[in-house]
Amino acid sequence: MNINLVQHLVLNIEETVSIILFGIGFTILLLHRNLVKKIMGMNIMDTATYLFLAVKGYITGRGVPIVVDGIQDVEAYINPVPSGLVLTGIVVSVSSTALMLALTVRLYERYHSLDLDEILILAKEEEEQI
Amino acid sequence: MSFVQNFPFFSIILAMFSGIISSVLSGKKARNLTLMMIAVTTALSAGTLMFCLKTGESYTYMMGHFPAPWGNEIRAGVLEGVTAVLFGIVMFLSVTGGLDHTARDVEESKQNLFYIMIDLMLSSLLALIYTNDLFTAYVFVEINTIAGCGLIMIRQKGRNLSAAIRYMVMSQLGSGLFLIGLTLLYDVTGHLLMSPAKESVELLVATGRYRIPLLVIMAVISVGLAIKSGLYPFHYWIPDTYGYATPTGSAVLSGLVSKGYIFLLIKIFYRVLGYDNLVGTHMVNVLYLFGVCGMIMGSVHAISETDTRRMIAYSSVAQIGYIYMGIGLGTTAGMVASVFHIFAHSATKALLFISAVGLYEVSGDRKDFVSLRGAAFRNPLAGIGFSIGALSMVGFPMLSGFISKLLFATSALDSPEKMMPTLIVLAVSTLLNAVYFLRLVITLYSRRRPEDKPLPKQTTVRSSWALRLAIICFIGLNLVLGMSSQPIVQAITDGLAMFD
Amino acid sequence: MEGNVILLLPVVCPILAGVLVLAGKVFRKDRKSLMAVLLAVLLLEAGLTAWALTSGGSIQVWRLTSQMNISFHVDEISRLFGALTAAVWLLVGIYSVAYMSHEEEEHRFFGYYLIVVGVLMGLNFSANLITMYVFFEMMTLTSLPLVLHERSRAAVMAGLKYLFYSVAGAFLALFGIFFLAGVAEDLTFAAGGILNDNMVAGKEGLLLASTFCMIVGFGAKAGMFPLHGWLPTAHPVAPACASAVLSGLITKAGVLAVIRVVYFIVGPDRLWGTWVQNGWILLALMTVFMGSMLAYKEPVLKKRLAYSTVSQVSYVMFGLSLLTPLGFVGALSHVVFHSVIKHTLFLAAGVIIVTTGWTRVEQMRGLGRVMPLTLGCYTIASLALIGIPPASGFVSKWYLASGALSSGTGIWSWVGPVVLLVSALLTAGYLLPLTIQGYFPGHDFKGEEIEKRKLAGKEPSLWMLGPVGILAAAALLFGCFPDSIVAMAQSIAAMVL
Repeated sequence: MNINLVQHLVLNIEETVSIILFGIGFTILLLHRNLVKKIMGMNIMDTATYLFLAVKGYITGRGVPIVVDGIQDVEAYINPVPSGLVLTGIVVSVSSTALMLALTVRLYERYHSLDLDEILILAKEEEEQI
Repeated sequence: MSFVQNFPFFSIILAMFSGIISSVLSGKKARNLTLMMIAVTTALSAGTLMFCLKTGESYTYMMGHFPAPWGNEIRAGVLEGVTAVLFGIVMFLSVTGGLDHTARDVEESKQNLFYIMIDLMLSSLLALIYTNDLFTAYVFVEINTIAGCGLIMIRQKGRNLSAAIRYMVMSQLGSGLFLIGLTLLYDVTGHLLMSPAKESVELLVATGRYRIPLLVIMAVISVGLAIKSGLYPFHYWIPDTYGYATPTGSAVLSGLVSKGYIFLLIKIFYRVLGYDNLVGTHMVNVLYLFGVCGMIMGSVHAISETDTRRMIAYSSVAQIGYIYMGIGLGTTAGMVASVFHIFAHSATKALLFISAVGLYEVSGDRKDFVSLRGAAFRNPLAGIGFSIGALSMVGFPMLSGFISKLLFATSALDSPEKMMPTLIVLAVSTLLNAVYFLRLVITLYSRRRPEDKPLPKQTTVRSSWALRLAIICFIGLNLVLGMSSQPIVQAITDGLAMFD
Repeated sequence: MEGNVILLLPVVCPILAGVLVLAGKVFRKDRKSLMAVLLAVLLLEAGLTAWALTSGGSIQVWRLTSQMNISFHVDEISRLFGALTAAVWLLVGIYSVAYMSHEEEEHRFFGYYLIVVGVLMGLNFSANLITMYVFFEMMTLTSLPLVLHERSRAAVMAGLKYLFYSVAGAFLALFGIFFLAGVAEDLTFAAGGILNDNMVAGKEGLLLASTFCMIVGFGAKAGMFPLHGWLPTAHPVAPACASAVLSGLITKAGVLAVIRVVYFIVGPDRLWGTWVQNGWILLALMTVFMGSMLAYKEPVLKKRLAYSTVSQVSYVMFGLSLLTPLGFVGALSHVVFHSVIKHTLFLAAGVIIVTTGWTRVEQMRGLGRVMPLTLGCYTIASLALIGIPPASGFVSKWYLASGALSSGTGIWSWVGPVVLLVSALLTAGYLLPLTIQGYFPGHDFKGEEIEKRKLAGKEPSLWMLGPVGILAAAALLFGCFPDSIVAMAQSIAAMVL
């Protein structure tokens, strides 16, 4: 049974890797205290999902879904839908990353720390002094 | 196809375009545009609701040139209509109530950015209500998150920024899980549009294939959206986030944002995974358990809080627990109770936050119990508004909270195994709610004692007309939900029947 | 709204008048107009109640959901409670005119005073369980300002305690209401109960449990163990007129709720011989004994009277728990008699406090020299409460005792009368010392304080003495001529048992 499982995992190596990467990214986002590393973790997590999705569209032996040389036959191209989804997803991921980076910069300017726990404590003290 | 059927599409687009146009407008013009836009979209949603009530069924609307199952579509029915109308009303009143505070707290140059966030928030809420496509739902979930983050951090104080980053981190965890769940669903069914996906899922369940992946998908999507809506134990970001935003921000965040995600979750349950499948896998029991824990723990935390904003925020945690408990009961009656409580809680929590702002104004902007003593005498309308909101949360008859509790209790009676725990937890949590809410109400109506510190000079500020208007309208909304709940409950029941 | 609109008037008019008094700025300065409005409304209320009670009928006011609505109706029980409420409220109102001149912010007190009588009428007229629950909750909320009136720290703490116990009791009762709403289509009161065997098949255990919860929950308002803790704290700290109505009438609202639940919804047959009945009897008797004991030991007069209320209202609960006609008659007559008696006692205590400033019984030696008439009224009421013929208390206790002896409830049929007897002795022990020491202070009593403060013969004004006298006379006369009340109680008993 175990060999069968390993075989399956190796056969679908892309999916396996993407799930492992997803797990890594999720854990980094959750557990690390450094803000920049958290953002990196988020990106790894999202990218892993896009890898998974992109693989779903891939069909061996076929080309990129851009009509070239007038070949309109469906059989010549991979499934374009997942690629579209990945593009959308990348946009979303970039916006979130940008927002979080901007927040990180602001927080660093204010508290001179990139450690989330430390920042929370400092913010609380600052509030109590007012 | 009648003209009315375009309304859902119009409302989403209108909201988005208002956001885009506001980027070049000044603060005041952006504000007026936002208010007008909310009013118009609410009217459009009302039109949709009327249409669906008349025809008695929901309809799908093709977005773009490709029909299902390749293209994108939105779907409108009675439940979507009534939710959209209610959310629109709550948003309008929240923006109105916080009008002058927004003008004061936010820098002049960034005023229009605030209103852009409100516009985007409304558009994403409407899209979540109407969408029939999973990936569109994901995109709008992210837009909702970003808009929410914008609302939190528009005030540049330290606590806001740290609350915002915490919010983003937790939200992204939830979004990541939701996305991987979607992806797995696409992998297994090959569809992203909800209705075709459901057919595939039914087929898979019938043949027994991919049993474990389906289970994983259900779990991951539920947990993802549960994190985003603040179910216990994923609620740690709520007190900071709801407590420290501007009044409009707090009202909108607590009243609407979480509810949008819960609505999406209910939609996915009905329209993709199949509610009966869910009940069969006992996934609902997990949600029930967490909901019950949230009900108790949220109230317990609230009792120990001295900052009243955080206390109100913790009460939100408890109320979201109620909603998940209702979903977790696994019956239609439980779902109706949950949806009604979504409405009741939106209206009441927004009322509480807006009234609380009125009370803080006359207490030197302080939020602790000692400063608020006697605040109801200094600002009578806000005191009445807060008292009605508190009584509604406790479950006083004639107010919306009572109807919610009644619906929860009667639905609990239908499910034998969960009946006793549900009723006991309802009673205990009501008592806990009474402790911290009524304690605050009595403090508001007590006289100041000679040993209290004197308040700073700001105590003579009179609330703006906008705040007072918002409080009065919210009270009216609460009374309508409490006293004429029958048509609304009927609409919810009909809407759920045509929801899948 | 279909039905007899007249029924709405005794409910709505005082509430509107009360809101007007609270909101109208003129009442804060001009005492005379406040008093005029107060007395006019109370007289009007008495008239409207009489009109409503004689015209009878019912009215559906508002539909809350398809299952639940707010409706009023008039039946024998409503007549009994309604007449009692309106009459006593008027008398206490007259008394308050003079009493409250010693307190501040009268307009607030009188505003809520008016609102509470409207809500109480709504409770009396309730036609179904939901209406009753709504008005029950409203009564808790609107009577809270009466307790809190003085705004001292003790008053606020007492008010909070009152609120929490009431809310806890109401939610306990709500558990039962939810169960009943799930079983029965229509929760309108019907003599003898609305449940038939189909509805409760398979759920008998749950029915008993929820009924018990409702009895204990509504019993909190009536001061029955274990939710009695608020009473001795809240009643003394309120102004005397508020204490009087709290003890005399608002506790009876809890009793009314229990009567409606047991006799008009669940039905006495379902509870006969069950653990619910036994538990109820036990709790009632415990409260009777405990209340009398604590009253006997209590030195502060108002608190002593509050403990006495705890004990006496449980007499009523005991009578109701017997589930027999005699017990029921005893209970209902004791509702009327105790109400009248307790009002007299509290109002007299208020007079004593206001005139002399004395709060502890030991200070009140020689009171007979200060206000012999008031003390006389107090004595008459005490004798009635102890149960000495021909005063009214004797009649109700006789019925209670005979009800117990003939009830067929096993051990309780003799334990009950024993407890009642012991409690009667204790009642004498805690009420009579004031009389004895007041009239016969003893040879060593010099009465310097009375001479120094020139208190001798200082009877209260007619505004205060009048109602006290009328109520004391009623306490006596109801005993001499009990037929009308007993007959009313008997007809109700025949209806439900």
